[in-house]
Amino acid sequence: MRNTHWRWLKLGLFTAGGIAVAMLFVFDPATSGAFPPCPFRYLTGWYCPGCGSLRAMHQLLHGNLHAAWAMNPLMVIFLPFVAYGLASRALFEVSGRELPRFFIPASCIRALCVIVILFAIARNLPLYPFNLLAPGAMLRP
Amino acid sequence: MFCSQCGANNPDNAQVCGQCGKQLQPAAPGAPLQATGTVLPPGMTVQNYLVFAILTTIFCCLPAGIVAIVYAAQVNGKLQMGDLAGAQQASKNAKMWSLISLGVALGGMLLYFLLIMAGVMGGMFHH
Repeated sequence: MRNTHWRWLKLGLFTAGGIAVAMLFVFDPATSGAFPPCPFRYLTGWYCPGCGSLRAMHQLLHGNLHAAWAMNPLMVIFLPFVAYGLASRALFEVSGRELPRFFIPASCIRALCVIVILFAIARNLPLYPFNLLAPGAMLRP
Repeated sequence: MFCSQCGANNPDNAQVCGQCGKQLQPAAPGAPLQATGTVLPPGMTVQNYLVFAILTTIFCCLPAGIVAIVYAAQVNGKLQMGDLAGAQQASKNAKMWSLISLGVALGGMLLYFLLIMAGVMGGMFHH
């Protein structure tokens, strides 16, 4: 019984993800208001490490790598890995087989953790060049 | 012993491959495994939920996601040390914290939409 519930939850999440990607292609989160603002930024006024990732994905879906990079460079770097992981997972749910799995050493995962935290701090600093990491800052003259 | 998946040379008492994390087979058929934890079926690895953890960290903007990444690191660290039971425990924690992060984010979104609805309704009654 529990397994069936999990399957439905996963199916629901993947479907929601698919709809979100389609919406991201059509609407630009920077201008349309079709997407909610980041709750962290809404509450605190600070950028979180994910701020700008929806706008970055919109730009990526339209092939603008430079604009995507300016919105959230961390997310542009992570996206291929995350996409591989999700594709592997989706394939597993459908066919029971996975894409080849890579073992990431524990030290790399810890480093990743530190990078995310440093990125979150740096993009909120009002100092050049750290402030270039704030969403869209690289696009401003 | 050599790993059947990636060919890396591992210490003879290792339960999983330090290179790729694959469960190592006993050298001789029927040879007893080191009893430090439960033995997984061959070919199965311990899931570290790293992708899930990163997704919830970035999109849910939550410290819970960071905790999940730390546990994901612990899964791989314990696998590298051959501590299968510890890796499975860390795997459970990584999954739990990813789900907490996801749950809080979904709850936050729901609250946001409810507040908007409340605002719209309030505006309607006001006029």
